Amino acid sequence: MTSPHILWIDDPAAPGNRVLGGKFGSLAEMTKAGFAVPPGFGITTTAYRHFLEAAGLAERARQVRAQAATADLAAVTALSAEFTAEIEAAPLPADLEQAVRDAYAELERRTGTSLVPVAVRSSGESEDLAGASFAGQYDTYLWVRGADEVLTYLRKCWAGMFGTAVLTYRPDGHEVVAGDHGICVGVQQMVEARSAGVMFTLDPVTGDRSKIVIEGCWGLGEGVVKGDITPSRYTVDKVTFEIVTRALSRQEVQYRFDPTTKVVGLLPVDADRQDAPCLDDSHINELAKLAKRIEQHRGAPQDIEWAVAESGDVHVLQVRPETVWSQRKPEAPILEKKSAVDHVLMRFSGGKLATKAGS
Amino acid sequence: MTATNEIPLETAQAKFTSPFDIATPAGAEGWESMYPYYALLSEDQRALDEGKFWFFDGMHNPEPLYPFDTIMTENWWVAASQMSTRVWPVPPALGIDHRIINGYLYVSPNAVSDPEEIGRRAEVFGVRAGHYYGNWDSIYAEWEVKANDCIERLKAITFAPLPDMEPESSVFGHTGTYSSYRLLTSYGELIHNLFEMGSYHFEMLNLGYGAYLTFREFCQQAFPGITDQTVASMVSGIDILLFRPDDEVRKLAKLAVELGVADLVLANDDPHAALAAIGGHANGAQWLAAFEESKEPWFWFSTGAGYTHSDRAWIDDLRLPFTAMRGYIEALQRGEDIRRPLDAILAERTRVTDEYRSYLPTDEDREAFDGLVEIARKVFPFVENHNFYIEHWHHSLFWSKVRELGEVFVAHNFFDDHEDIFFLHRNEVYSALYDLMIGWATGTEARGVTYWRPIVAKRRAIRETLSTWSPPPALGVPPEQITEPLTVMLWGITPESVQEWLGVGAGGEGGNGVLRGVAASPGKVTGRARVITDPEQIHEVADGDILICRITAPSWAPVFSKLGAAVSDVGGIMAHTAIVSREYGLPAVVGTGFATTTIKTGQLVEVDGNQGIVRVLEEDSK
Repeated sequence: MTSPHILWIDDPAAPGNRVLGGKFGSLAEMTKAGFAVPPGFGITTTAYRHFLEAAGLAERARQVRAQAATADLAAVTALSAEFTAEIEAAPLPADLEQAVRDAYAELERRTGTSLVPVAVRSSGESEDLAGASFAGQYDTYLWVRGADEVLTYLRKCWAGMFGTAVLTYRPDGHEVVAGDHGICVGVQQMVEARSAGVMFTLDPVTGDRSKIVIEGCWGLGEGVVKGDITPSRYTVDKVTFEIVTRALSRQEVQYRFDPTTKVVGLLPVDADRQDAPCLDDSHINELAKLAKRIEQHRGAPQDIEWAVAESGDVHVLQVRPETVWSQRKPEAPILEKKSAVDHVLMRFSGGKLATKAGS
Repeated sequence: MTATNEIPLETAQAKFTSPFDIATPAGAEGWESMYPYYALLSEDQRALDEGKFWFFDGMHNPEPLYPFDTIMTENWWVAASQMSTRVWPVPPALGIDHRIINGYLYVSPNAVSDPEEIGRRAEVFGVRAGHYYGNWDSIYAEWEVKANDCIERLKAITFAPLPDMEPESSVFGHTGTYSSYRLLTSYGELIHNLFEMGSYHFEMLNLGYGAYLTFREFCQQAFPGITDQTVASMVSGIDILLFRPDDEVRKLAKLAVELGVADLVLANDDPHAALAAIGGHANGAQWLAAFEESKEPWFWFSTGAGYTHSDRAWIDDLRLPFTAMRGYIEALQRGEDIRRPLDAILAERTRVTDEYRSYLPTDEDREAFDGLVEIARKVFPFVENHNFYIEHWHHSLFWSKVRELGEVFVAHNFFDDHEDIFFLHRNEVYSALYDLMIGWATGTEARGVTYWRPIVAKRRAIRETLSTWSPPPALGVPPEQITEPLTVMLWGITPESVQEWLGVGAGGEGGNGVLRGVAASPGKVTGRARVITDPEQIHEVADGDILICRITAPSWAPVFSKLGAAVSDVGGIMAHTAIVSREYGLPAVVGTGFATTTIKTGQLVEVDGNQGIVRVLEEDSK
């Protein structure tokens, strides 16, 4: 179990370890801090580089990236299709394959579930760097069962590094984020979510840091992340945990594992849940407190994926730094600079407080 | 200086019923005779009054006004209004006008619209208000001296029937004036004492509210959606006088347990029976001495807003403090600590304030926040404590003095009951006193002996009829903006609440059983509604009831422990109730406008104190 290719997220060496990429390194930190993160392991960036070297694709990978940085979209698309096919066809080093199989077997043992369903997802070295969230650009495969399937989706994640969108991702309309991006592929037990979603430890619309905004839906959180399900939205005061606003959304379909097709797809929501809130107040409170603790632990505003299991247990699926407001220079002050008494006198003079122009 | 209304008349907006179109309920004809001419609508001033926005002041006067009790509304008609108009000319706001309609008080804030005039007023205001803010603590210390002195002088006023023969002291002391004159001048002193305290009431109040309001608006801009009770919790004091009566009851409960007289309190529902039983106990004298000490002044604690004589104080009706005391004794016997956790409350205030501060985006904002917290905390002791000095202590004492005068009229055969005095306006009382003096002086029957009884009987019947009429929350033309700070702070009247009332009044929302108001205290509770329109009914509430009332009063708090939640027709964030009910952690929605008229006792209702929403879930299941 000391392969450089595998690192469990509860390994003492895991928290913040670069070989786990951004997401999984963060999850390892969360695990260490005692948050309820589902168990799992990362197939490290070392494993990825080992694969590229062994298949003789490392140099090509650098070229493809360099070319894509200046090519037009049609050329990038062609380049991407060609190179991802090569990655999916290339042989996997035997030691690496065995390490993955051993790790999956260990996860089955730890969870007491044979063919334990897992989520397989990319965790890039470059995400969270330079304000690039790469949000939605990397792949996630849900409800993967058995070591063979894990190996299949491992390759797809690696290939996904050369998808058109990743190759051309320009977070601020500036330079393509180029360089030698390593990728870790995380393998983590699936939470069979009753409801799930994302939450921010600030109001993403106003930047108000005294709020936690929770978006959630019935079923897996995929729809909230992808945006094809309109979530219910709750704003919670971070100091008092009062629920300040709720915008409930009727939901007819949800992402769930379909036992007939054996894949995750859109299935109907039970009739009695369609109009019901996907979170009760005690879960909203628990999530908000969780978000606040995570933010305190991480020392900056966070963007958190969460799930509530049918049992009612709350799980942290992903944490990453909030990248929009955290990068921004503070706005102009809310009030013009003057004494408190002068503000009060102004208030009596009618209308609202004198706010700083242009803010 | 002109008083204008804030409404552009050309705007075709929704209006409330015209005050001139309100019909007198059958059986209440002639109600106008109970009130002074200047408080009534008149055809002469129709043009002026019809275009204004009038809202029902149920917060101070949920019931039809007794003629005598108009002294309170008339007091602030001048005392509060003169502050904004002429003492600290609040730049865009003048005073608040009053009209009595079908026995209920309607008020209307006046605005200044001329920008030049606003500018001129702003200069004067800045200098004067700046002086008060700059010297707040010492001015408040002076204020307390004045208030205490005013109360001492009120205590010294006494009324007694005129003697059969003038005492020798008047003759041999060569006083030259006699009992009749002292009766008349004592009455004058009583009335002027009320107006004196009434003036102190507003000396610092508007400025205090303004400072707090500024801090609140800053918080609302910086932390959109922050609740009013959270803002208040950052500046609210922990040792304010309104908590003191309850603290005294806790202290007495503890002493009763220590002295072994607790079971005598528990065994007697009637407070007087309990006091008699304690008197017979070996340690009784020690407890009764402590009880007497607590009573003065802390039991001068009104069971209502203090603005009407029917708001009896604890000192007149010991049931409330004794009910609370029984609860505390039982808690002590279970081994609980009944002291208010002052350190924890203070630590929580610090935590909440520091945390919000840390979420501000810039250092300049933190600086502004610090300054506004500081000034809001500076003014808050006055804002919170003036209630005890004025509405509770002074006014309860005032009403007891009026009853003492009522006894004089009973002794002289004008009335059957001292309470009848409240059916006379204070100026009518002055006339009746002179009438009484004439009878005494001449040795013949005073005219009042046959004159007042039929009038009192007629007015009593009229008032009973009026009390079954439901005053609409607003009349006239709604304003586009409200600039008068008291209107917002005390009554919770905002453009949103006006729109809400318009919707309900027009049948838009009232039908679906949903009422909106101000979220005054957080939490969500479902229970059976108990509609209380008379403070006397407060003893009827059962465990888990949702109290539905025109207004709640802080001294009802001991009964609140039985309640699931409270809903009122009127009130804003700084209403007398809000301060104490937050402390008791009772979910509350205030300022719903129509709760007592749309919700019925027995209905299952849900009160959402987080959102300020009340829903009727089902009809009476009984």
